[in-house]
Order: sequence, then structure tokens, then C-alpha cells
Amino acid sequence: MFDEEYLKKIREKKEDWDKNFENAKERNVKFVTDSDIPIRRLYTPLDVKGDFLEKVNFPGVPPYTRGIYPTMYRGRVWTMRLFSGHGTPEETNKRWKFLYENGETGFSAAVDALTFNGIDPTNPDGAPEVGTSGVPLYCIDSLFALTEDIPIDKVSVALVVEPFTSAPVCAMYFNMAKMRGYDLKSLIGTTQNDILTMTVGYIPYKNVAPNHLLRLACDFIEWTVPMKNVPQWHPINFTGYNYREGGIDAVQELAFVFASACSHIDNLVERGWKAEDFVNRLAFHLAAHKDFFEEIAKYRAARRIWATLMKDRYNIQDPKSMEFRFHVQTAGSSLTAQTPKVNIIRTAIQALEANLGGCQSLHTNSYDEAICLPSEEAALIALRTQQVISEETRITNTVDPLAGSYFIEWLTDEVENRVMKYIDKIEKVGSIDKALSTGFLYKEMRDAFHKRRARIEKGEEIFLGVNKYPEPYDTCTDVFRTNESAIQIEVDRIKKLKARRDNAKLENILDKLRNMCEKEENVMPIIMEATKEGATVGEICDIYREIWGIWEPPLAI
Amino acid sequence: MPDKKIRVLMSKPGIDGHWRGGIVVSRALRDAGMELIFGGFQNIKEIVESAIHEDVDVIGLSIHSGAHLTYTQQVIDLLKERGVLDDILIIVGGVIPAQDFPKLKEIGVANVYGPGSLVSDIVEFIKERITK
Repeated sequence: MFDEEYLKKIREKKEDWDKNFENAKERNVKFVTDSDIPIRRLYTPLDVKGDFLEKVNFPGVPPYTRGIYPTMYRGRVWTMRLFSGHGTPEETNKRWKFLYENGETGFSAAVDALTFNGIDPTNPDGAPEVGTSGVPLYCIDSLFALTEDIPIDKVSVALVVEPFTSAPVCAMYFNMAKMRGYDLKSLIGTTQNDILTMTVGYIPYKNVAPNHLLRLACDFIEWTVPMKNVPQWHPINFTGYNYREGGIDAVQELAFVFASACSHIDNLVERGWKAEDFVNRLAFHLAAHKDFFEEIAKYRAARRIWATLMKDRYNIQDPKSMEFRFHVQTAGSSLTAQTPKVNIIRTAIQALEANLGGCQSLHTNSYDEAICLPSEEAALIALRTQQVISEETRITNTVDPLAGSYFIEWLTDEVENRVMKYIDKIEKVGSIDKALSTGFLYKEMRDAFHKRRARIEKGEEIFLGVNKYPEPYDTCTDVFRTNESAIQIEVDRIKKLKARRDNAKLENILDKLRNMCEKEENVMPIIMEATKEGATVGEICDIYREIWGIWEPPLAI
Repeated sequence: MPDKKIRVLMSKPGIDGHWRGGIVVSRALRDAGMELIFGGFQNIKEIVESAIHEDVDVIGLSIHSGAHLTYTQQVIDLLKERGVLDDILIIVGGVIPAQDFPKLKEIGVANVYGPGSLVSDIVEFIKERITK
């Protein structure tokens, strides 16, 4: 990127400088990134390789290293979207409105463990968890309650459910929207629908095997976007965040999501679609972790890798279909239950990474993250953290402000190269469902758990209040408790629904679903019908279990 | 030297899938020479049955769902009913507010390990309490 003659001069001067300061004092610590990339004392023009127009270029044009829009936050500030849900749909609706009134610009439904796993509240195994870790969304009535008085045509809603339950939960949402008079063609929002979240991010409870999950994820993408039923929807959000939280590093995080995304594209191409028919609606969800510059380099590298993959691997011509759009969540696993107010600082710094890295949407964690679900006070501080950055710091004045830093450009290249190698490693095992069923990804996760644990115990990774300046657990924070009556409320809700629905008609529809599952036909149309007639998420998932069997993940200790 | 290995059942009551904590602690206990039975997801009856069947000294409950008080109480009630509560050390770990530690200890839990706990402390505690 620099004149060769001038680089020669810099090289000579750099050699002198190196020699002169060879013995300059440096602390006795490892200077490495969180992904173990060794970092040198200094970066200069000598470290920035390649052609500016090819690699960095301008925002709004491929390879989008600098951002997917020409004006970025000068045009529109990122969406402030807090992941939120607890107790009952009614209580969650109240929290959503509270955040909206305070300036939130997008919604995101955190669902409970039963909704994630397709278990109805009448099942005693999961009953104590109704509403304890998210909002229970078991039937269509819950979706009406969740979105009551919320302008879902103007504000986008993210439904955080994975392939095992994305079809029934989203079908309930779409049916609700239709009944409320909204046109599905203009409905905006996102379904997470990420195969890796409920397989290696969290272990699934009585779900089906990865090949069926991949098929369900692709059925949903196919029905919404290329079949044009909900064409403005983001039918999948490849969620590196969830497995990153387990302990893998930034390089693995990107490699996991790209390998997964390619498997989904391949599946849909095999069904006869062209990649152009849908790739511009695929979205991503990444972490903002503790390593400030590495995370920023990661976002820049991600945009370039995606554009390159689309162009080289799928022969995409339309630049719009090479855009890498992503939501970010600050790192819950970086927060502590000791001196929890320090978490506000950690979260603010991580949010800044996401913004300097050009995210489209952001969730900031609450300071009570390591203790309980967010209290209203803690959630408001998390929202205000984003607003301080957007309204007070003026970082939105220009696009990609860190571009041209010798270090940032070098690190962006370095992350890119390492990610490409790691994608190869995954793809050698096979498509993403094979990487799961063979246990490969479980071993990678397991190794990451232990590596990180060793680093923390050796003090190579610092947690203030835990392994440096240790403090006792905080007992002053008001612990937010979810509604203990939620179980009864949800059991009653389902009872009422079952009393009013036409059970014979529904049985018929569910029989058709059995057929679709066996025949490998897209399940969405029939699930739209079933949920409209009052089928619960548990009833749909029980049919998956009946036809495909329950899968035991190959966990590794 | 103990002549018999300490036997530990590591279990996840309920259906919440946060698995890192249970795996990290399991490996550490195994590395420390204990016999580790990894139960994974188990309902209350399964936890108690496999604890009795495997003749364990310790039950570790890994809970991140917020339902720690309910599940722990259910496990303890059933252990008591089966007459084995006094023979087994119960340890609970996960995202558990410190405000709930006294309550858990009151109902019979030997120790609670919240976020940021060092696994070496857990190993030490078990070795101290189970002397064979």
C-alpha cells in the first residue's frame, strides 16, 4: 500500500530503531491476543501488505472491510436491541415497553429453556424452569401477549429460537402478525435459527439429530426468503456469540459461523435455489469480548472474508449479496459476580469495540448478568451505555475510524488468514451437521473450556475481583426474581387454548406434518396451519421426536 | 493414601443446557483422582437412583436456569425419603446469587460455587470432607 522506495527507507530506519532499543524495558508478560496471536512492540507501514483498493477500499462497496454502508452511523445509528424476556409474555411485554420508552430501537426475545427445547409446561421435567431464564412462548396466545401494543411493523423483532423450535415459534409469530392485519411481505425481524447454538453452545434436551436440524433451518430460510413468504425477514442469524461464550477464541468463532453458513447455502443450492436468491438476508451475531483491538479486527476481517467467500465460492455478482451484516452482544462470560458494578465498565468498553467495528445492532449486558436475569435498573444502565456512546462521544462522526492503523490493518489480515485455515479444518470433517455428529466440534469446545480454565487459574487471563484483587461475592445487589406463578399461568394458558381449539381438525393437520417430515418436504406451510389451529410448540416438536428420534450429543469431558 | 477413590456424580437437573461449568469441574475432579460419573441431564428420580446405584460419595448439581432452589430441594427431599441423605455430600454450582447460598446450606447443601469459582477450591473441599 506504500511506495516501494519509501518502504525501503522505513525498513532501514526500523532496523536502526530495533537495534537502538533492543534492550528497552518490557514487562515479563506474554504479549498475545485472546486468540494467541503474538503481538509485536510496534507496527509500521512495513506490516501493511497488499493493495488498498482490493483489501480495504471504501465503505459500502466490496470487500466491505470498512463497513457495509457508505455513510454507516452518519446515516443511521446501530439498532439498540436488548435481549430480554422473563416470567410470562405479559411481564416481558411490560419490560419491552419500558425499554422502548427509554430509547431502545429493536426488540429481542430471550426465551426460556422449555421454549428452546420444545417442551410444554405440563412436562414435569422442565416445569420448574418456566420463565426462569427467558419468556415462555408455548402457543400462539403467548405471541399476542408478548407484542401487545408494540409497533412490530416499525420496530424489528428478533426471535431467539433455534432450528428445533424456530418453525413453530416463528409460525406462531407470523400467524399473530397476519391476524393483527400486518402484511407478511413487509414484516421485519430476525430468527436466530442457528444450528450450533442448541448443539454446542448449549447442550440440547431431547432434540433431534444435526442432519434434521440443518434441514429444519433450511426449510425455514427457504419458505421465508426465496419462496417469498416473508421476504424482508432475516431467517437465520449465525450466532458465534453463543459458542464463543463457551471459551473458543475469536478465530474459531468466525470459522464456526462461516463453515455453518456455507453448509446452509450448499443445502439450499442442492434444493435448486441460486445463492443470489437468499444470501442477502443471511445475518450474523458475534461477540464483543475482552481483547479490544482483536475484536475490532475480527469484525473488519469478517466482512472481507464473507465478501470473498460469496464472490469466489458462490460466484455472486451483486455486491448487495456480499454484505456481512451483524448483531453484537457484549461478553457475558467476561462479567463477574464479585464487584458487579465493574461490569458496567467492561460492558461499555466491549460496546465500543462493536461500534468501532461497524455493527448493525447491539445488545449490552446488564451488570447483574453473573447473578440473575437483568433487573429493570440494570437493563436501563445497559441501554444508557449504548446511548452514551452514540449521543455523547461523537465516535459516529466518521466511518471506520481505525482504518489505516498499521496495527489494525495487520491484525485484520492476521485474523483473516487464521480463520481461513480453521474453516478448512472444519470442512475436512464435512458439512456442519457432520462436524457435530462426529463429535469434532464438541471436542473443540471441550478443549477450549479446559484451555481457558488453565489460563484463568494460572493468572494469564485476568478477572478483577476473582483472580486479581479478589473480593467476596456481592450480596448487596437486588436479585431479580422471576415470577413464581409463571408455571401455573402458562399451564392455564395452554388449558384454555386446548379447550377452544378443534382437536379433530388439528390431529389431521399434525398427521400431515408427520408425512412431511418423512417425505422431506418443507414443513413450514403445514406448521403455519397447525399453529394457527392452536398446536403448541411441544406438540410440533413431539412429532419431530416421534419421526426422527431423540439425539444424544457426543459430549466430551 | 486413601484406599478407595472418591466417587462423584455430576448431574444437570432440569433441561437448561449451559454445559461448560459441569464439564470443567468434572475434568478437574477426574484429574484429581476421583471417580467421575457424568450424569448429564437427569430428572430428580434419575439423580437419586444413579447416586444410590453407583454408591457415590458426592453429588454435584450444575444449575444455570435460576431454578436452583426448587431442584436442590427436590433432590434433597428424595434422598431423605430414600434414607441416604446423610451418606452423600451435596455440592451445587452455577449462576447462583450469593444471597441464596445460606438458604441452600440450610436445606442440606455442603457448599455452593458461584461464577468465578476456582476448581482447585472445589477439589480441596471434597478431599477435606470425604476421607477414606
